[in-house]
Amino acid sequence: MRRVAITGIGHTIFGNLSDFDLVDVMAYASADALDDADIRKERKIIDQVIVANMGGGRLNHQAGIASSLVSRLDLEPAMAELVENGPASGGSAIKVGFATIMSGLADVVMVTGGEVMRTVPGWEGTDFVASLLHPEAEYNYGLTLPAFGAMFTRMYMDRYGLTERDLAILAVKDHENGEKNPFAHVRIPCTLEGIFDSPDANVVNNYIAEPLRLYGMCPVSDGAASIIMCATDSQKIKHFSKKKPVFIAGIGAATDTHCVHERKDPLELKAVKQSAEKAYRMAGISAKDVSFAELHDAFIILEIAISEEVGFFERGKAKDAIAKGITRISGKLPINTSGGLKAKGHPLGATGVSQVHELVKQLRGEAEKGRQVKDPKYGMAVNFGGFGNNIVTTICSKE
Amino acid sequence: MDDIDFKVYKIGKPEVYAHKCPECGTLYYPVPMICRHCSARRDPSGVFYSSWEKVPLSGLKGKLLTWTRVYALPVGFNDRYLLFGIVELENGLRASGRLLFEDPKIGMKVVAKAGIVREKVGQDVFGFMFDVR
Repeated sequence: MRRVAITGIGHTIFGNLSDFDLVDVMAYASADALDDADIRKERKIIDQVIVANMGGGRLNHQAGIASSLVSRLDLEPAMAELVENGPASGGSAIKVGFATIMSGLADVVMVTGGEVMRTVPGWEGTDFVASLLHPEAEYNYGLTLPAFGAMFTRMYMDRYGLTERDLAILAVKDHENGEKNPFAHVRIPCTLEGIFDSPDANVVNNYIAEPLRLYGMCPVSDGAASIIMCATDSQKIKHFSKKKPVFIAGIGAATDTHCVHERKDPLELKAVKQSAEKAYRMAGISAKDVSFAELHDAFIILEIAISEEVGFFERGKAKDAIAKGITRISGKLPINTSGGLKAKGHPLGATGVSQVHELVKQLRGEAEKGRQVKDPKYGMAVNFGGFGNNIVTTICSKE
Repeated sequence: MDDIDFKVYKIGKPEVYAHKCPECGTLYYPVPMICRHCSARRDPSGVFYSSWEKVPLSGLKGKLLTWTRVYALPVGFNDRYLLFGIVELENGLRASGRLLFEDPKIGMKVVAKAGIVREKVGQDVFGFMFDVR
């Protein structure tokens, strides 16, 4: 079996980039990856480009984005395709890139994920994301992804005794990490008093979808992230001598019912569990070997629920680990060292690639001061699509 | 004016339907293309396979599993907020839908009603509206 190394990474800032062209934003992150890998001049060694994006057609009125990106970077005649898998597009694109190398179809693959969605007003953006729900049984009602995040949270609170204050404690941790991440959308630290304990907290941290407040939701962000992968048995690996490679140890993906109400236990995120199990199996490790993780916290409850589904904590126990500081940078199992979607932001197509970008940064030991995990061996990224109906888990290792 | 058939403007009575698998009788909302239990096929046109029987669902009692009050609504909804919930109906089906009452509680009893949940140009979209009675 071939081995795949990640040999270059690039990232734009996340935030409001609506003044810029979608493909330019993606090309900027891609050029960053070329420079990081030190192959800007030899860029034609890239055999395949895979683009992750969800809304280019609807929000930016652009189609054929992969061809457009190749041309802007002068990468012709590289093969190029677009992968659209909702908010899990980024993870899926990496999986497809990995499969392309494993099949022998390509030796060097660039995967770039990007999204520019601040071009439309908030309620149009909300409608656009909601269109991934079931058209008849969910979308038509005016249901949104935050609505499902909220209903999931309410059910979880009822069963496991989680409180709104527990969620606020988690938000403070995410912002603590995001503040130190130069790419993060929200680099504002927050305190428990500011967002929950003070009587005035209601003003800055109002309800969006009860029981989720503003600090329980990811912001609407634009941005892009890019990685370059190379087969270790290829002659082309010699071009990548500047940076120490990080390896893809395991990838797994799984799907679940389109509608949330069709699941026997709506609190059970089966696809998360199955995708993680597949990734563990390929990597030959278990949950206890993971040194740190990037979990898709589009709604803050998901950091808790995913960490339990992948086996880090027992059901209902993640909140105790969070309260003890186990998931902080200095803790035993740091989670969302980048600030997570909560603070770093969530440009849909970019997110999955950005998560792996963070894994590589941490495993290389290149994370910013105060944000570096101590001597990590394995990093895991869980990219969550739909409301839990399409999940991609990627495990990266130092050796 | 006599040529105009005003019947076409008649507004249909709101209703929400489950679909019944003709082979094993399993009810679905929403309807799949292949039965999860007996693998029977459905044909929306009813030409090659059955189009499956439609079973009206309004009037059924149910239990509220979870709920939310959403303030950030998508385009097309001009309300200050809307309430949504997931309900388990007495026939075992579950559905997401709108709640017509304030102060919901997990586990409380509700009744499924059908109403206009979205207005498209020239078309009213029917869906579940859950109420306390």
